[in-house]
Amino acid sequence: MSLLFEAITSEYTIHLCVLCGLYLILAQSLNLTFGLGQLFNLAHVASYAVGAYTTALLATEAESPFWVCVTASVLTSGVFALLLGAIALRLSNDYFAIGTLAFSSVVSSLLINWRSVTHGVLGIPGIPRPDLLGADLYQNSHFLALMSIFVVVTQVLFYLLYSSPFGRALRGLAEYEQAALALGRDTRLIRNFAFFFSSAGAGLAGSLFAYYLSYIDPSSFSLGEMVFILTIVIVGRPGSYWGVIAATIFLVLLPEPLRFLQIDSAYLGPARQLIHATLLFSVVWWKRRVLFPQQRQV
Amino acid sequence: MFDILPQLLANSLITGSIYALASAGLVLTFALLRFLNFAHGHLMMVGAYTFFYFSVAHHLSLAPAAGLTILCMALLGSIVLRVFVQPFLTGNSLLPLVTTIALGSILEAVISIQFGVNVRSLPLQSGIESLEWRGIFITPLQIFIIVSAILILSALAFLIHQTGFGRRIRAVAENSAAAESLGVSRPLIVGVVFLVSVILAGFAGVLVGYETNIQPTMGGSYSIKAFAAMVLGGLGNIWGTVAGALILGLVENLSIGLDFGGYSLPAGYKDAFAFLTILAILLFRPQGLFGTRQRTT
Repeated sequence: MSLLFEAITSEYTIHLCVLCGLYLILAQSLNLTFGLGQLFNLAHVASYAVGAYTTALLATEAESPFWVCVTASVLTSGVFALLLGAIALRLSNDYFAIGTLAFSSVVSSLLINWRSVTHGVLGIPGIPRPDLLGADLYQNSHFLALMSIFVVVTQVLFYLLYSSPFGRALRGLAEYEQAALALGRDTRLIRNFAFFFSSAGAGLAGSLFAYYLSYIDPSSFSLGEMVFILTIVIVGRPGSYWGVIAATIFLVLLPEPLRFLQIDSAYLGPARQLIHATLLFSVVWWKRRVLFPQQRQV
Repeated sequence: MFDILPQLLANSLITGSIYALASAGLVLTFALLRFLNFAHGHLMMVGAYTFFYFSVAHHLSLAPAAGLTILCMALLGSIVLRVFVQPFLTGNSLLPLVTTIALGSILEAVISIQFGVNVRSLPLQSGIESLEWRGIFITPLQIFIIVSAILILSALAFLIHQTGFGRRIRAVAENSAAAESLGVSRPLIVGVVFLVSVILAGFAGVLVGYETNIQPTMGGSYSIKAFAAMVLGGLGNIWGTVAGALILGLVENLSIGLDFGGYSLPAGYKDAFAFLTILAILLFRPQGLFGTRQRTT
């Protein structure tokens, strides 16, 4: 009996670790556009979906190997961001938010309705776990090991991006655009780069998500998911590298105690959403003077 | 191809009327406070569920249920204004966007916990036949939707353009500081307009509940629809937005209704068409169809 309990808890801990890893990649990549760049990008979840569906389709229809799928997902999501950027980066403020939201809605409408490709609301089942170096990745603990490598690599890459001249330029554009322009920075180019890297990160997360669950459907890429990723970045303070890492772990684990209460499983989802949304509001209320710095004046 | 056109136009008018009621409130608050209420669709959803609660769960007849719903929406509206909107208007313009996103999420979660996540519908009285007029089928409910939209929007037009109070609303929207220095009470104007906006949202939600069905997750997509109408008409332009709502209804119904040489689009694509319309407008005519281009200083 106690052995069984241990087995369940360990599988459960592994699952939580995989979730943390997934959201670390998603949140840190959104942090690049939303945090550093102050671009209210509501289409991040669409990039995530593009990555997940690319892997799912390649792995099931074409039976492509792991590396091909991951690379394809990252690149497709990156290129997708350039398409989004071509439209959204011409807009500012409220229009930017509406534009990215509309773009994201077009994508989710395609996921539901383009049945011949995406199988609509039924989703794509039977995505095989990757076959790598003879490791049995059907075991979740082994998958977690593979996932950790990707998480560490992306976190290091994003750290380097944040402290690079590119990261500083992006931050500068958000704080005082005219000054950055006067210093010869190419606004459009820098923001397109930010979009590309951010979306490529989401694509990688999507690919790993598809492999992990081995089944994807449009409900995983809803507006609610977007709000959750946004919550992580805001709670961790937009633009803060370590803050977002801490917030990811905190927010993924926060609603877990609910599982051990005797709550009907139908209420779990809404209860989790309520906790996250209330926390989002409290943080914005508490930090409303400093959360998004007023634009710098010279 | 064109024999179903009259029916499609009638359907467009019905959808457009609901969107017009939903977006009229949104555009009024945007004109006054310059912020986008992301929770507007969620407030519609709450209105529909409140009405459902009184009329179906508590078997109240139409008039008391409607009265109580309006009362609840007004109460909710004043809490939302005090807690979620006003404290955030002075800082960065992203703040009220984020707080209303949080509000929408909270409302969705609370309604899901209270009523369950399943689809519900508001039951119509049985025994009402749909009417036919020159090949157009229309139900009494749909006639009610169109007539009530016309009446409410006319009343709104009268309030804004013909009364002293309306002049004060327009003054605050145009230049808040100047209006206040001339003795216009901005908090009163903002409060009244926001309550009207929330009550209109609730009314539109109830109409959606009768015409189709209601679900806790419906809020987000109706917010986007209302934004779409506003973008079509030009942000902050009230009558442009009402026209935008009607155009949106038209685009949705025509895009799936007409068949283009034996090829017609499945019904699910009508949302995609609505959103593509927003993107096209944002790209090629950002001031909206009826707006004039503003110069930034």
